[in-house]
Amino acid sequence: MLKVNCPNCGGENVFRSAGLPSRVCDYCQTILVRSGDSVEPVGKAATLPFDVSPIQVGTMGTFEGVRFTVLGRVRWGWTDGSWNEWLMLFDDGRDAWLGEAMGTYMLTRARPVEQVQSQAIEKLARGETVDVGTETVIDEEPFIVSDSRAATCIAAEGELPFSAPAGWTIHSIDFRSASGACASLQKEGDRVDFYQGRYVTLEELKPYYLRELEGWKAPSYG
Amino acid sequence: MASTPEPIVSAAAAPAPATKALSCPSCGGTLNLRAAGYTVTVACQYCGSILDVANPDVRLIAEYHQAAAEIEIPLGTRGTLRGVEWEVIGYVQRSEGGAYPWEEYLLFNPYHGYRWLISNGRGWSFGEMVTRAPTWQFGAVALDGQAYTSFFSDGRAQVDYVLGEFYWRVQVGEQVSTDDYVRPGFMLSREQNAQEVSWTLSQWLEPDEIKAAFGVEPPRNPWPPLPHQPSPYRGRIRTGFKLALGALLFLTLLTIFFGGGPTLYKTNLPVALDGRAHSTTLGPVTLSRPYQLVSIRARASQINNGWIDFDYALVNRSTQATYTAYGLAERYSGRDSEGPWTEGGGRATVKIAAVPAGTYDLVVDYTGNWWAGAASSSSYSSYSTYSTASPTFDVPGGATIEVSRGSVFISNFLLAALLILVPFLFFLWRHLKFESARKAESDTGGAGSMFNSDDDEDD
Repeated sequence: MLKVNCPNCGGENVFRSAGLPSRVCDYCQTILVRSGDSVEPVGKAATLPFDVSPIQVGTMGTFEGVRFTVLGRVRWGWTDGSWNEWLMLFDDGRDAWLGEAMGTYMLTRARPVEQVQSQAIEKLARGETVDVGTETVIDEEPFIVSDSRAATCIAAEGELPFSAPAGWTIHSIDFRSASGACASLQKEGDRVDFYQGRYVTLEELKPYYLRELEGWKAPSYG
Repeated sequence: MASTPEPIVSAAAAPAPATKALSCPSCGGTLNLRAAGYTVTVACQYCGSILDVANPDVRLIAEYHQAAAEIEIPLGTRGTLRGVEWEVIGYVQRSEGGAYPWEEYLLFNPYHGYRWLISNGRGWSFGEMVTRAPTWQFGAVALDGQAYTSFFSDGRAQVDYVLGEFYWRVQVGEQVSTDDYVRPGFMLSREQNAQEVSWTLSQWLEPDEIKAAFGVEPPRNPWPPLPHQPSPYRGRIRTGFKLALGALLFLTLLTIFFGGGPTLYKTNLPVALDGRAHSTTLGPVTLSRPYQLVSIRARASQINNGWIDFDYALVNRSTQATYTAYGLAERYSGRDSEGPWTEGGGRATVKIAAVPAGTYDLVVDYTGNWWAGAASSSSYSSYSTYSTASPTFDVPGGATIEVSRGSVFISNFLLAALLILVPFLFFLWRHLKFESARKAESDTGGAGSMFNSDDDEDD
């Protein structure tokens, strides 16, 4: 854990994991990038638009027996709306993303794309395109390409594995299976990132430190 | 890395506001966005204009100047269904090209996401988007191990009217193709447009559930039933059948073991097989029920090669009303070329039906007769009692006369059995009628049996 003062405003910011070298200053929204024990400002993040997500930086819970803490978020927009990707840091040091869209949640982890056995993903990694509705097998499980769209970063907060400046645009291709497994491939020029996981419910994560919203009773999953 | 993180959030943090106000660019009315961050389209509740709120700047998509429709559950209404509080945030009227209209209310809870309340005027369902994809098997679809039978196929649903807020770009006139599959209590609906396929699982709501949650009064016995409405007779048939079976078993046991009813009078008469008529008056026999079956049993178990005629007369002491019956107790034995034989058990039971209450005398005229034919055979001497003694016509032990109440006629038993089965047969008939009316609505025949695939639903 590294505690540093923001070079821009002097506010204290914490870097909890070496795997999360980027963060948005909690006070002035300056994007900071860690290098060793020093930090460098690389720009300014946009202000997050108001939403009623029940998740917040600091929400904790358990997934597959390991405790996690939500440390950051990227808000993405596309032509027909927007969604949140929450960064979860687990007690075992791994991280994952909790995608939140339309009131549903997907928990995915980054995976080296070279390791993934799938014709559609190999095609995408080569720079070719696949149509929505294409069926493909990923590691022996049948998936379908459910979505393909350009996504633009609207804003970000907290600690992140990469800097997410507003206006940063990637292409996102989503996959889903009959069992509730899901995957996402994100392309930016020649760079390809692959994430794989499954749909989860908030209830099964047994979250606490959920965000309190006026007039609503936050569930307690004790 | 494995160190325990300190909590970042203090538990005392002030709650965030749950709504965001914006003003309609068309009519200037103030709208409170209830699902800010998720909502993409708003249909203004004052003027009906369609707004795009996906971006911070609110855009007017379609301008209308119409009074908002009166809807059964107003926007902003909250209700608790199955333990979770929901707020109505959107309303859609849909139809099949203008026919078969139905309504959908979009429900929201920031901690539980979205649900649907669906009504076609004949009942309500509670729907949730499915994040898994059902699989096809044997012409049906399966989800989470449950099979759903095709009910409607190749439908085209269009949006006719919208009000409130939605998490997608909703458009009046927009069409999707639909297919519906059912199992008792549940409907699985597939909707497809050019971009995507989505599945919704809806549960049929009991009228009392929707009434308790949102105060609406659904029809009690809609006809025809909804495609996924469970037959209300289904459980009753099973229960009725089990009960009838139990009652029949009980009745049978009762008949076997307790057929005799309580003994009202019992005595012993000396009997001799001498051909002489005797008359005796027994009693009193008191009958307490308004009407009863009276059973008179004569037993002369030691009789051999003889018979006793009994003429009974039950005489009411106060009215002199008389009920008569005749019984014959006999027993014979002998030996022929095939060995020893016996015939008759020395017993006679007679029944007199519907005897009114009262105190009665039982007048018994009886005659013991010796079967002369036996004298020529050797069988008489084979009977040990008689073989050593000098011939005597006295029947050892005499005859026991027992008067009892209420033993059961077999015809009565059958009538009772039929009565027991009547409710079961009635509910079976109602069930079949319900199922045929339900399936008549299907355009695929609703081929699957709603009766067999419901093991987990009732009781």
